[in-house]
Amino acid sequence: MSSKQLVHTPEGVRDIYGEEYLKKLEVQNLIHHKIKAYGFQDIQTPTFEFFDVFSREIGTVPSKELYKFFDKEGNTLVLRPDFTPSIARCAAKYFMEEDIPIRFSYVGNTFVNNSNLQGKLKEITEMGAELIGDASIEADAEMISLVIEALSATGLKEFQVSIGEVEFFKGLCEEAGIPEELELNLRDLISNKNFFGAEDLLRSQNVKESYITTILKVTDIFGSIDALLEAKKVVTNARSCKAIERLERVYEILTLYHVEQYVSFDLGMLSKYNYYTGVIFKAYTYGVGDAIVKGGRYDNLLDQFGKHSAAIGFMFVIDDLLAALSRQDISIALKEGGTVIIYQDCCIENAITLAKKMRSENKQVELVKGNKNKTTEQYKEFAKNNRIENIICMQTEDYITVTNASTGDTEKVSLKSLLEGNQ
Amino acid sequence: MSEDMRYLTFALGKGRLAKNTMDLFEKVGITCEEMKDKDSRKLIFVNEELKLKFFLAKGPDVPTYVEYGAADIGVVGKDTILEENRRVYEVLDLGYGKCRMCVCGPAKAKELLKHHEMIRVTSKYPNIAKDYFYNKKHQTVDIIKLNGSVELGPIVGLGDVIVDIVETGSTLKENGLEVLEEICPLSARMIVNQVSMKMEAERIKKLIQDLRAFL
Repeated sequence: MSSKQLVHTPEGVRDIYGEEYLKKLEVQNLIHHKIKAYGFQDIQTPTFEFFDVFSREIGTVPSKELYKFFDKEGNTLVLRPDFTPSIARCAAKYFMEEDIPIRFSYVGNTFVNNSNLQGKLKEITEMGAELIGDASIEADAEMISLVIEALSATGLKEFQVSIGEVEFFKGLCEEAGIPEELELNLRDLISNKNFFGAEDLLRSQNVKESYITTILKVTDIFGSIDALLEAKKVVTNARSCKAIERLERVYEILTLYHVEQYVSFDLGMLSKYNYYTGVIFKAYTYGVGDAIVKGGRYDNLLDQFGKHSAAIGFMFVIDDLLAALSRQDISIALKEGGTVIIYQDCCIENAITLAKKMRSENKQVELVKGNKNKTTEQYKEFAKNNRIENIICMQTEDYITVTNASTGDTEKVSLKSLLEGNQ
Repeated sequence: MSEDMRYLTFALGKGRLAKNTMDLFEKVGITCEEMKDKDSRKLIFVNEELKLKFFLAKGPDVPTYVEYGAADIGVVGKDTILEENRRVYEVLDLGYGKCRMCVCGPAKAKELLKHHEMIRVTSKYPNIAKDYFYNKKHQTVDIIKLNGSVELGPIVGLGDVIVDIVETGSTLKENGLEVLEEICPLSARMIVNQVSMKMEAERIKKLIQDLRAFL
């Protein structure tokens, strides 16, 4: 391979650097800060695990979209496509006996080998939190409130958290006696809001007309809290009614958090997988085509690892959130830039002394050995491209200048004033 | 109309589909005078009063525009939706542009479809063809993608059968081919961006309801 070809990255992965990466880290910081404020403990799990941890029964990513490889013993390993199964495994392994709720938060990259040329990245950064061992309605509301507070903290203003309950739909199917395979197909159509498709499917399977009408009507209900009242009038089976009541209670508690203006309900929001067992939610905003936060209750997942425990979690798709912020022209406040000291050979001692002093004051300082072929303008350009505020030029001990990179103003200063001053 | 209302943007598949769609939209009070001007070289047509924007795009690109939110709503054939497999809501069957996705070939090729022997399929729709043969018929196939005049495939010996849209079947007949199996019926569909559906719920819901009343 020629060196020109070596600089490419494979499709679906990319380099992030400079200001873009600073912004990404800052957004992660803001969200992490909120998650910490709710008492979540950071946890780090391996980047790859045994295939079984992400298998069909447990995971949400089809096997053919997993990055798989083998270890020396021939075990199949998988690059994590999402974090939740790993966290569940950890909770079961280290906290088997714990019955007081535990809170984990994580950040890292996930890998999904999705189709080419669709403009989707194969490696994305996710940050999330999992609340394990708490089956309460209060836990549902706490997690949703945390999502809203964290999104607000990033500066995002226009967003909606849409909430559904998978039990609602399961109740409808149970009542109508819909077999599992039909339910799966139906779920697909309804979560795509393809109601005419759903209608055709139900008709072709000879489902009773009254059930068809009800199913199509109520799964099309979405909007404010009033939507739930509307659904209540139509639905009679106990399981679905219980689901609606749960959503109403969640809403009540969300009003205590004062975040209800960001919330809407969608009874047609279903999960493609059996993974979720209760409340599910997604946060949407302008500028990206998919939800920026996804979450829900998964009370059966930990059973797969031998721990009987309820759990609820969510994850932020950091890359999509950043794209949304940038498309909505929301600026992310970054810390001020650093200083570059350009020194000639004779000034090495002074340069190091000054750099040490400034670094001890938590300032960012980079030392650059002066090059006679470079002009001041070139250094200014370099500073601008690298978020550097001040350029200190040490020609000799007596000839030192400070240039502000953004204004271009240059002044002569003495070494003494630099070492004593607090600029 | 409030000043800060967002524009709802529509991406329409070029050609007859767009014309039929605008005719239907006019019945529910959605018009765009700018679009009727045949000589216009504009790419985007606006209805300032209703805060609507329209643009025409090549069929297969419509789901892409909608998935990424470049358009809130799109109108496109079901064949494109199946082939592109994008994450969009498919909310309405608009009823026009009716045709069928079929496996076609010379009459003698019928025999080939009865076994699980490997056959060669030429198509403009490799994903639909693959899904049909792999997941429904469980037959191994070699798919050859062509970009037009797919009927040529079996005639010049490039493939055994084709997977393509059949409207009247006259092109097939003229070339000595016939429909061997039907994959699925097709028609124009309205698709909606997932985020727009949530953020502009009221306006889009009303549009769907109004259109439904006319279908």
